[in-house]
Amino acid sequence: MSTCKSAARISTAVRPPPSLLPRTQIRHESTTRRHKKLLTVQQAPSYAPTRPEPTLIFNPPSSAPSAYHTPLKFLPANDKRRALYASFLSTSTARAHATATSPVAAPGTPLSTNSLLPPRPSASLPPPLRQPYEKKYHLTDVEIKEIQRLRKEDPERWTRVRLAEKFGCSQFFVGMVAKNEEKAAKVSREHERSRARWGERRREARHERERRKELWGRDA
Amino acid sequence: MPSPHPYEANQSIKLSALRARLSLPQRFPLQTLARTLVHPSADPDPAFNNASLSILGGNLLSYYTSEHLLCNYPRLPIEVVFAATEAYVGPRALAIVASEWGIEAAAEPGGEVEPGLLQFKRLKPGEGIPAALRKQVPWKWNVTQTHRIVATDEFGSRNAPPTPQSLANVPVPMEEAAQSFVRALVGSLHLHLGAPLVKRFFKSHFLSRHLEISDMFDFRTPTRDLSRLCAREGFEAPVARLISETGRLSRHPVFVVGIYSGKDKLGEGAGASLEEARFRAAAASLKAWYLYRPLDVTVPSSMEGELDTTKWKPNMIDCGEVIV
Repeated sequence: MSTCKSAARISTAVRPPPSLLPRTQIRHESTTRRHKKLLTVQQAPSYAPTRPEPTLIFNPPSSAPSAYHTPLKFLPANDKRRALYASFLSTSTARAHATATSPVAAPGTPLSTNSLLPPRPSASLPPPLRQPYEKKYHLTDVEIKEIQRLRKEDPERWTRVRLAEKFGCSQFFVGMVAKNEEKAAKVSREHERSRARWGERRREARHERERRKELWGRDA
Repeated sequence: MPSPHPYEANQSIKLSALRARLSLPQRFPLQTLARTLVHPSADPDPAFNNASLSILGGNLLSYYTSEHLLCNYPRLPIEVVFAATEAYVGPRALAIVASEWGIEAAAEPGGEVEPGLLQFKRLKPGEGIPAALRKQVPWKWNVTQTHRIVATDEFGSRNAPPTPQSLANVPVPMEEAAQSFVRALVGSLHLHLGAPLVKRFFKSHFLSRHLEISDMFDFRTPTRDLSRLCAREGFEAPVARLISETGRLSRHPVFVVGIYSGKDKLGEGAGASLEEARFRAAAASLKAWYLYRPLDVTVPSSMEGELDTTKWKPNMIDCGEVIV
């Protein structure tokens, strides 16, 4: 029934080698009707009551979760909500998996990408912003002494970035073990000098940005 | 006579109206209600002003407020507890409550004044704040956090507030007089009608005022605090994950970032940059930790005079806020 083709089939970048077989008609998806059909999004599951008698429909708009809603992990061990949350999670996941997907949104069609539909629950987590890493704690006293020596000898050459690269640690760690007050003062003086060259508009814009940043932790 | 004679209180229409408006029973005497309206600045005689009653009432108010906060939000940081106590029963909040009750002030105190008016010596415009009201000497010169918790008043203030008797014959602003009236009223209710009615009165007039505790936080380094918290409680280290995004290359992108510890989501935040969304999500996760409410709470004062102790359930006591 479905007329949708996979994305691989739509793309014409790679042309098949010419063959001697007789040419057959290919139905592309480039007609208005088929494109419109693609956009038919299936009704949200909660709006489709399963029973004929009137039921309560609970479908709140997506919004930021309330701060008073304690996540499961933060509940103490003896809290009754732990069992409630766990049972809700298992039933809702089972239900979501049991709900049939619309044929137009079946995997292999353009609609199966999650840009148009709410994401289906799955066991996989969203992608991390930064790749999580394990702390290594691999530097010994000898290497720390070496870091301190290099930083002291030539702070211009051995900056925090270079030392961090060389020893495979973070810049924060370098700053922690080998603090160079003179270099820091020099850098801050340089920054001060370049800040003094700012015009009124840039200075105000930076100031506003700092104030906005303070609000991040206050009105979140 | 610096303040109206107690005999006149029975004839006062204003006092009867006030007693009816606050739904106080008839057995609460109007003379006491009249006495709660006399600030020490109007009448320095401790037998006729509200100083002693306001000390009692202030202690009761702070006790009921702090037990409510500590039992219902056992994980709140102490700064937020102080701020919330001040928002419930601080001087300004009490002055607002008094004005909502329709308390009017007399232009000048005196024996001939209608006893239903709040009586205090007014601060003249242009006059400086008197020495008694100005910042007192600190409780201790080295005011540490521990000292603020243990030894100062319920608001954790750095300077001691003026004692009621020190304000005798000193001109004061209306806020000072109004808050002393509310405190004195609570104290006199306790003396005449007993603790159960005061608790009901407190619930209906003070706890019923909506206070958004989730807006009282101010996080500076939420990401660091959160990873300290997870390490302390033995959870997996928090990881920021991108739940959804729109318009990454546009002028107004929106990123929705969730903080996950293992498979569990701790909090979620939206922002115009990845950094902002992560920061807000970490702040939301910390709030989710601090704003935990146990399901059924029995406050200590609810067991006063109870013979049946089986109803008592020990309250949760948390080990404290995250210190980085």
